[in-house]
Amino acid sequence: MIELNHVSKSYNKGRVKAVDDLTLSVRPGEIFGFLGPNGAGKTTTIKLIVGLLRPDSGTILVDGIDNRKNPVAAKTVTTYVPDTPAVYERLTGLEYLNFIGDVYGVPKADRLRRIERWLEIFELSEAVSAPIQSYSHGMRQKIVLIAALLPAPRVMVLDEPMVGLDARSAHHMKEMMRTHCDRGGTLFFSTHIMEVAEKLCDRIGIIHKGRLIAHGTLEELRARDREDQSLEKIFLELTER
Amino acid sequence: MKKLFRLIRVGLRVNFGLSLLRPKHLLENKRDLWLIPMIGLGIAGLAPVLFFYLKGIRFMYGLLAPLGQQGALLTFGLLAGQFLILVFGFYYVLSAFYFSRDLDLLVSLPVAPAQVLLSKFAVVVVNEYLTASPIVIPMLVAYGVQAKAGSTYWITAVLVYLFLPIIPLALVSLLVVGMMRFVNVSRKKDALMIIGSLVLMAGALSLQFWLRKMPDSGPGHQALIQFFSEGGLVRKIGAMFPPSIWATRALVPEAGASGLGPFLLYAGVSLALFAALFFAARAFFYRGLLGLGEVSARRRRLSHDVLSARISSGQKPVRAIFLRELRIMNRTPIFLLNGVLSVVLIPVIFILFAKAGSGGGGSDTTQIILLLASANPAAVILGSAMFMTICGCLNGTASSTFSREGSHFWMSQIIPTPPAIQAKAKFLHSYAVSGLGILVATIAAIVVIKAKAVHVLLALPIALTAAAALTALGMIIDLLRPLLKWTNPQKAIKQNLNVLIAFFADAGILVALTVGVSVLLRRGFSKAGVIVGLAIFLAVLAGSGYALLLKLAARRYGEIET
Repeated sequence: MIELNHVSKSYNKGRVKAVDDLTLSVRPGEIFGFLGPNGAGKTTTIKLIVGLLRPDSGTILVDGIDNRKNPVAAKTVTTYVPDTPAVYERLTGLEYLNFIGDVYGVPKADRLRRIERWLEIFELSEAVSAPIQSYSHGMRQKIVLIAALLPAPRVMVLDEPMVGLDARSAHHMKEMMRTHCDRGGTLFFSTHIMEVAEKLCDRIGIIHKGRLIAHGTLEELRARDREDQSLEKIFLELTER
Repeated sequence: MKKLFRLIRVGLRVNFGLSLLRPKHLLENKRDLWLIPMIGLGIAGLAPVLFFYLKGIRFMYGLLAPLGQQGALLTFGLLAGQFLILVFGFYYVLSAFYFSRDLDLLVSLPVAPAQVLLSKFAVVVVNEYLTASPIVIPMLVAYGVQAKAGSTYWITAVLVYLFLPIIPLALVSLLVVGMMRFVNVSRKKDALMIIGSLVLMAGALSLQFWLRKMPDSGPGHQALIQFFSEGGLVRKIGAMFPPSIWATRALVPEAGASGLGPFLLYAGVSLALFAALFFAARAFFYRGLLGLGEVSARRRRLSHDVLSARISSGQKPVRAIFLRELRIMNRTPIFLLNGVLSVVLIPVIFILFAKAGSGGGGSDTTQIILLLASANPAAVILGSAMFMTICGCLNGTASSTFSREGSHFWMSQIIPTPPAIQAKAKFLHSYAVSGLGILVATIAAIVVIKAKAVHVLLALPIALTAAAALTALGMIIDLLRPLLKWTNPQKAIKQNLNVLIAFFADAGILVALTVGVSVLLRRGFSKAGVIVGLAIFLAVLAGSGYALLLKLAARRYGEIET
């Protein structure tokens, strides 16, 4: 699970509040979709969860572990996919996956089974022995996704994971997300694709100007206004204020 | 024209981080304020070198002026500056024109190819002003002061300096643009970078050898006068690359002649070559550039057995991170050239220079040093240790270890490996590179200089301990202020201020140790005692440096926001 308690983060000596007193929790077995306009604070929130940024105040628990007090333990149960797949271009795909397997301590048998499976699903079997610098943007996105899946983490945090994926891969990605949570894992992801959020998420949070302006199941969000509203309309109404 | 100036402005801002260097930003980011005294110290460290350089110029002027040959000093300074620009220019031009990451963006903009190339050229020119300035500016100024030159000299000197990089850079640029267009190298850019650099290094070395093989005209002042006089070496080389002669004649006109003609020739050729580059850029630049981003790679499906064999059976994180460092360093040409290749080449260059001009048996200087040393084994041990340490540590591997990660640093921050363990793995990698340099230096000292093996082997543990201390120091400097935002790998290592700061810090420590040891020996302490004491002191320094590094890593990995 992921728990954010009164988390704030600002830039430029407090002049720009990227995340403002954010409190939310994502339960085990839940896919949580995080929506918001550009610059609303989605990526900042995600980076705070995975420990790439330090909050000005508040606490973040990942699987019950405080990610500032015990960062290594929090990282052991978490994997992360950034919005831009900047990965070691001079390594081959397999070397990169081996590196991730080594630092997360994935046993060889599990590693082989998972790598073979995900390479097949994401159609990277032929490219895995080539340097990552020869990969297209979508292929890089896939190798980062496979790396995030390799340790079979309890918590996955994904920033715009569908960007750059072809339709087939995006489909497999969504299936993977569902399976991960059906097995009790927690998944937190940001997206701009309302349709994906609508169909996939157990709960949705909408952030605007650093503040969480709405969260809940799709039905709960609809109940705030008219019941037949699409998520897109709810989003547009909430974020134009 | 407006677009060109805007491109140049953006290029300069990106290259020198000008936006971040504004006093407002510097004062806001108090963490960087420590840089101000560090830069001051660096400049103070350079002051003695500048002092001796200026003293040398004054001395030479005094020797040459009575013979009317003092103008050759200017030819020498300008030649040296242009030679430096030529050598560094190849790196700068190739990486700026073809390998910087912003090219994809620039190519898609509605600007002409020549404008893109000229904006890159302008950035390289500014870089080269900085590269050549330590040699050329003191020469121009010292000469002017000595000659009590009038305003014409000073105005001409400014113009000569402004035109200085154009000819060598335009020549290198034309060569590079032509090569990229007509030679099928687009898919082998890494190999091109390495081979090109090695060829240039070999060229520079050959020139040095040629200079040393020139017949000696006798000892002392006579040789110096001969070197600079009519028909001497400076004039001979100047004749091969005449812009420096033209510039000299523009600054110091020959009797009865005006300096305007030579200046117009100097400026005219610069502008003509610049124009040639403009037309070459228009015709060839994009044709050589497009497709360069493509990286060829053989792709084949791995069978289950092959995949199984290639999947690691679970290495410890230290080993995994060490391997990552090794692979990325050795597969990135700029990193490879400044790391492994430089530690292998530096001892070789030192030794070759020491031996050059002696017909293979060791130069007079080497022989004299060895002769003196045979009477003073402690000096050989300490001298060898110093030589080996310099060979092992005179590279940017340790002081760019975090910076080299660049935009990939987020991965080091999210993996569940404690930062101290990551720093340990990085230390081992940097130390291995230093160790390689020390090993080559050891072999070179024994085999080529023919120093006594027992002395060199006694120096080895001292050098290894010193290298451990300096490796930790270099890493600490880089960890305090890692340069993670770069578009060209050259910035992470060759143009990284941390590498320069570490270089000065290393030099400072080595000088302080040399002074300390000399004082102790002069005061009559036993030689063996001083050597053992030095080794113990270095071990303490290395141990505490390493401990500090690990502690600092634990703190800094959490503080650095990416």
